[in-house]
Amino acid sequence: MHLADLIQLAVSAAAVAAMVGLAAWATRGRGAPPLDEAQARRWLADEFPGARIEGLWIGADGLGALARSGETALVLSRIGDGYVARRIAWDAAASAQFRDGRLSLPLADFGAPRAELRLQAWPPGDLAA
Amino acid sequence: MKIPTDPVTLATPFFILTVIGEIVLARYGKLKAHYETKDTATSLTMGLFSTLSGLPFAGVSFAGAMWLYHHRLFTIPMTAAWAWVLVFFAEDLTYYLFHRLSHERRIWWAAHVNHHSSQHYNLSTALRQTWTGGLAGAWALWLPLSFLGFPPSMVLIEKGVSLVYQYWIHTEAIRRLPKWFEAVFNTPSHHRVHHARNPRYLDRNYAGILIIWDRMFGTFQLELDEEAPRYGLVHNLGAFNPLRVAFHEWVGIGADLIRSPRHALGWIFGPPGWSPDGARDTSASLKAAWAARQVQAPSPDKREAA
Ligand SMILES: [Zn+2]
Ligand SMILES: [Zn+2]
Repeated sequence: MHLADLIQLAVSAAAVAAMVGLAAWATRGRGAPPLDEAQARRWLADEFPGARIEGLWIGADGLGALARSGETALVLSRIGDGYVARRIAWDAAASAQFRDGRLSLPLADFGAPRAELRLQAWPPGDLAA
Repeated sequence: MKIPTDPVTLATPFFILTVIGEIVLARYGKLKAHYETKDTATSLTMGLFSTLSGLPFAGVSFAGAMWLYHHRLFTIPMTAAWAWVLVFFAEDLTYYLFHRLSHERRIWWAAHVNHHSSQHYNLSTALRQTWTGGLAGAWALWLPLSFLGFPPSMVLIEKGVSLVYQYWIHTEAIRRLPKWFEAVFNTPSHHRVHHARNPRYLDRNYAGILIIWDRMFGTFQLELDEEAPRYGLVHNLGAFNPLRVAFHEWVGIGADLIRSPRHALGWIFGPPGWSPDGARDTSASLKAAWAARQVQAPSPDKREAA
C-alpha cells in the first residue's frame, strides 16, 4: 500500500466520522417510540402472518416483545429504529436465562445472536409448561 | 502492473458531499430521507473498508483479464466511441447476471447480503458495500468481456461507471422520474423495490444502469403506491457490528456444512434459505405464501395482484 493510499484512507475515515457525527446531530431526540402492545401485534402480523398469538409479553423498556404461538416463541427486538423478528422453540424461550429482570433469548444466529427482554418474572406460571 | 484509477475513487468526494447534503436537508424537512446514527456508521464503515478488502482479488482478476485479453477473439479499440457504447451494454448485461446470481445462489448472496442489511434506504446505504465479493469469485463473470477483446482497463472503468451510477438511486428523496427515463434506466423507484423485503418485491429489479434487462428477463416489478417498500432482509440483522454484517451468511453456510455435509451442494449453491426439509424461508416460498394469502383474504393490494 502506498503512502498516497494511506492518506486517502485516513481522509476517508475522517469523513466517515464527520458524516456519522452529522447523522447523530440531525436525528437527536428523534428516537423510535417504545414498543407497545398494538405495535407488537402489528409487527407480529407482518412477520408471522396467520400465527395464533396465545400469549404476549412486552419488555418493560419497550425494546422487545415475545409471543407464544403453539410450540414456537415469536421474538421481536428493537435494533436502532428498526426491529428484528425471529422464531425459536418455545422450550428454548421458556428455559432462557432470566437474571435481574432481564430475559436473554438465544436466537442461534450469527447475524442476530440474542434478544433481551426486561420482564417482571419468567417463565410465566400458566404458559411455561 | 498498473490498475487504472477507477471512477469510484474519483467520485468519493461527491459521495461525501451528497450524503452530508441529504442528512442536512432531511433535518430541515427539505427532502425525504431517514438516517439512524448506528445504521449510518455501519454503512459507511462497510464502504470504507470494502475497497481495501477487494484489493488482493482486484490484482488476481485484472491479471486474469489481461491473460485472456492476450488470447482475445477480436481487437476492440479503446479510442472508438462505438466500442464504449458496446462495452456499456455488455458490462450492464454482465452486471444484471452477476446481481441476479448474487440473489439467487447462496454463496454469492453471502457476499452481497450486507448491501441489503440496512433497514434504511438513503445515500449511505449505497456505500454499504461487500467485503467478500472477491472471495465469492463473481468477478469471473466479467472475464469473458476481455476474451471478447475489450481491454481490461476499459471493462474496469465501465464497472466503476456503473457503481457510481448506482449510488444516486439509493434515495427516497426522488419519487418518480419522467416516464421515458423510468422505462429505460434504473431509478430510485426501481431500486427501492430491489431493497424491499415485502414478499412481492423480493428478487426483483437486478438492473445496474438499464432497467431493460429486468423487463426483458421477467424480473421487473414496479413500485406500487399502495405498498410502500419495507427495507432490509427477510430476517433482519440484530447487530450493527460490521464484522457480523460482513460475515454472517458465510458463518451460516459454515454452520450448515458442519451440521450436514452431505447437503453441501444445496447449502452452497441453493437459493438463500434453502434447506433439505424446506423448513426455512426462501424468496420463492415467501412469495408463494403471500400469493396464497391474497387469494384467501382479499386485502387493499389484491386488486393489483390479479
Ligand atoms: Zn441486490
Ligand atoms: Zn442497492
